[in-house]
Amino acid sequence: MLVFDQLKRNDRPTWVLTLLVSAAMGILLTGLWYLQVVTNKHYEQSQKNQSSRRVRYPALRGNILDRNGTALAENRPSYNVNLYLEEFSGQFQEAFARARAGRKLSRVDLDALGRRTRYQVVSNAVFEVGEMFHQPLILDEGRFLEHYTNRLVLPLPILENLSAQHIAIFQENPYKPPGLNLDIQPLRVYTNGELASHVLGQLQRVEKTTGDDEEELAFNYLPGLPDYEGRVGIEAAFEEELAGRAGIKAVLINHKGYRQSENILTPAIPGNNVVLTLDARVQRATEQALHGMSSGGKGAAVVLDARNGDLIALASTPGFDPNSFIPRMTSKQWEELSDPEGKPMLNRATFGAYAPGSIFKIIVGLACLEAGDLDPGQIYHSKGYFSLGRKNFGDTAPAGDYDFKRAFKLSSNSYFIFHGLSVGLTNIMEMGHRFFLGQKAQVPLRQEVSGFFPTAAWVARQAERGEAISQGDVANLSIGQGPITVTPLQMALMTGAIANGGKVFWPRLVQRVEPRSVGPVKVAPAGQVRGELHVNLRNLQTIREAMLADVEDSDGTGRQAAVPGLRVCGKTGTAQVTRGSVVVRKDTWFVSYAPYESPRYVVVIVAEGGGSGGGTCAPVAHKIYQALKRFEDQAAAAPRLVAQAFGSSEVGR
Amino acid sequence: MYERTLNERESRVDWALGLALLGLFLVGVTFIYSATSAWDSFADMPWYRQLAFQQVIWFGLGTLLAVTFCVVDYRVWTRWALVYYWIMILLLVAVLIPGIGSMRWGARRWINMGLFQFQPSEFAKLAFIFAQAHFLSRPVEELRQSGVFWKGLGLTLLPFGLILKEPDLGSALVLLPVGMIMMYVAGVPVRFLRRFIGGSTLLVALILVDILYAPPGWQIKLENYQKRRLLVYFGRDYAPADASPEVRRLARIQQFNDSYNVRQALISVGSGGIFGKGWRKGDQIRLGFLPRGVAHNDFIFSVIAEEKGFVGSVVVIALYTVVLFAGLRTAGQARDRLGRLLAMGVVTLFLSHVFINIGMNIRIMPVTGIPLPLLSYGGSSVLCSLIAAGMLQNIYYYRKVY
Repeated sequence: MLVFDQLKRNDRPTWVLTLLVSAAMGILLTGLWYLQVVTNKHYEQSQKNQSSRRVRYPALRGNILDRNGTALAENRPSYNVNLYLEEFSGQFQEAFARARAGRKLSRVDLDALGRRTRYQVVSNAVFEVGEMFHQPLILDEGRFLEHYTNRLVLPLPILENLSAQHIAIFQENPYKPPGLNLDIQPLRVYTNGELASHVLGQLQRVEKTTGDDEEELAFNYLPGLPDYEGRVGIEAAFEEELAGRAGIKAVLINHKGYRQSENILTPAIPGNNVVLTLDARVQRATEQALHGMSSGGKGAAVVLDARNGDLIALASTPGFDPNSFIPRMTSKQWEELSDPEGKPMLNRATFGAYAPGSIFKIIVGLACLEAGDLDPGQIYHSKGYFSLGRKNFGDTAPAGDYDFKRAFKLSSNSYFIFHGLSVGLTNIMEMGHRFFLGQKAQVPLRQEVSGFFPTAAWVARQAERGEAISQGDVANLSIGQGPITVTPLQMALMTGAIANGGKVFWPRLVQRVEPRSVGPVKVAPAGQVRGELHVNLRNLQTIREAMLADVEDSDGTGRQAAVPGLRVCGKTGTAQVTRGSVVVRKDTWFVSYAPYESPRYVVVIVAEGGGSGGGTCAPVAHKIYQALKRFEDQAAAAPRLVAQAFGSSEVGR
Repeated sequence: MYERTLNERESRVDWALGLALLGLFLVGVTFIYSATSAWDSFADMPWYRQLAFQQVIWFGLGTLLAVTFCVVDYRVWTRWALVYYWIMILLLVAVLIPGIGSMRWGARRWINMGLFQFQPSEFAKLAFIFAQAHFLSRPVEELRQSGVFWKGLGLTLLPFGLILKEPDLGSALVLLPVGMIMMYVAGVPVRFLRRFIGGSTLLVALILVDILYAPPGWQIKLENYQKRRLLVYFGRDYAPADASPEVRRLARIQQFNDSYNVRQALISVGSGGIFGKGWRKGDQIRLGFLPRGVAHNDFIFSVIAEEKGFVGSVVVIALYTVVLFAGLRTAGQARDRLGRLLAMGVVTLFLSHVFINIGMNIRIMPVTGIPLPLLSYGGSSVLCSLIAAGMLQNIYYYRKVY
């Protein structure tokens, strides 16, 4: 059989040849065995590495809801025209062959020609899309090249966010170039435009290159599909919860890098919903009231639940439309938002630090009462100004006799400077610290300042530097000027503590984080007490009565805030902002709560460049209280209506 | 003396050889189909334009030629050996002339015949085997003279030089083992061969060292692509040691591109594993990483190895082993020294092709464009392989019968 019979013969060359053949085949088999069996895994891996790419794709972002479940931020489908380059590969080849026209070219020239013809083919297709929509559409060559080099497996976005009319034109056009597709991408939408924009914050388009896990950082990871990331506000503070977990797609590519097929390796996990304590209706009313402010310009308002520190509305003006960041912002929009005067992206409610002016008299008054330094009934005679050494402190309250209530409601500077000096800096500081002045309230907005309030250490440091705190400074501080700045939010928390009998709450902005469908709900507990005031309730009552008088008495500075049927207590303030010795601006305040009998709401208004606290801010508070009362009345009426409709049997019983 | 192992009634047709060739042909057509079906234009090609079908035609034509060849005794054919040889030499010269030889991928290897192109170097190998066998089948005593050895060597080196000029290093190199083995089998004293092989090995080693290590001014002029192939095979950097970073970077890219085929072939073979990915399921060929221009001819083995794995590789090797052993048996049973020399020449030719081609696929041999007999797509190659097989059958038919 075969050669084997021959081998029995003494034929040397046949033996040699047989051995040669056996050796050669043996070498080949050994080599093949080594490659295909021993080191097979290595080559399998190389093969996978060169032919597959991982692409990250963003998860559906969670919604942001108000306390009643009204969506403030949600997703809408965005229709985009995408161009799938792999479908053009035939056209590329044809165009290339045409352009080359059989010429002999160097490698470099061939590459350049390939780049040029590819760009021409794609840019023609893009131009056709433009024709379809009767709008000029030019594909930037640099952008195309960048995409071709780095993101070949991903579709090239041509048009984003198509209008309904354009969608129809596109879908009904039978002559559209092949390789174009209408893709749907969920896109962030702020349903109510500017509403609560400073709380919600905004998104920025980002390109995330890596997965969430270290082990997913394979070298063949690609810059994924465009994603958005929160920059400030709730969008930023709850980024992880809202963003969910991006999914990973494995794309099979051919030797030219074009996409062949794809499958999902890790499905995306949609983000969680964040439920706020805000009430969209109150927020809207608050913003409207703020916009209608007589000073017309810049300011902020805080509406707080006095009983537990829940923020019901948090507004700042001017505002911005966070939708303008989606899908990306025009330079004109960006210019508007960067306005150095209005600073529309600044959340003045938490990020604005203002001198409190006369509203600080609440704390000075309370410090004096607590120290036993002040008898509310005792009369103080004001000359209409206060002299300290050679310096005179002016007073808007006329000269005359003042007891505590009158001094408070007419906001007599003389009275409070007199008593502030008498009770001393230490007592005032101590009372201020009970309200956590100079400290952040930790709202999850990524836009908060602590303001400034003197501490013993600071006083000592100033003394060391030869700038010891003078009586003049204390006099200034007594009327909320000088070394003190506060945020509207801090003032709301202070007013809340006065209203609720001495509890300073942590403000709560987020009630809970809940998954889209099923799963564990993370609840932020309500009414977290930050500190107790530990003050005599009689003294607190004195302040409250004075605040009530400020609004209800006909000569009270805050009388414009009064709402029939809702007993509002308040305090106005006007702080002078000086540069050198010149008054450049007045920041006006109105802090208040209602109703007097069982306080539920705290409303704090600040206006930059206002006329006076009573004239500028109290009317804003008035409108907000009106709205609050209206919503309360509606809520009270609704169950009754339900009872009338369904509950006749119960009524009958 | 010789045992009488054969009887007159024993078959005159070498069935083992025939079946193994048929097996190889079927495997070849199957995987040429697989390789070409990954082409973009595949779906648009009518069936008669498809390479797998054309390969069938070539096979049919080749079988016809082989059968025709068997009708006349090989001793009669061999009378004309020198005529074939000189016609082939003429054609090899002709192919070098720009008007006649057509250029493809930087080499003049084809003569355009209108309907098809043919590669004279393929047929030159056969003509050379005839001429060499004819020359060496003289009395053994004469072969002891060194003059005969030098003539035999000259007979080998003439086509070798011409084919090298095309340039087609692979086909040229194949002639050397064929010539040497035939001289050895004929009885040329081993010391001549040893001296020649020793001398030429030394020369080749010197040339290689020169090409790989010598400073540019001292190097032998080689075709740029040939030099690069050698550098790739020996894993040497393209850029000289004193090259600037930019030159080095470009050289790196060039090297990466040049070693592309080998790298991809290696990945194809290696990723096939034991059982392979399945027919028409090889990612390397489907996704085009294994270059589509060569996958169906020079690199057909990679396609088989990827899609059918180690098992497929073993089958292919086994089929070739059957062909080669059948050839050796024929050589052993040949009626005369002429037949024995012809058979040994054909066996060595097949062996060289198989070893160099598969070796190149698994990177134990440098890349040379030399086809795998009956598996690679290509008319000239299929025709020559079948004529060579026909030669074996012819010798088998007229073998010693006692």
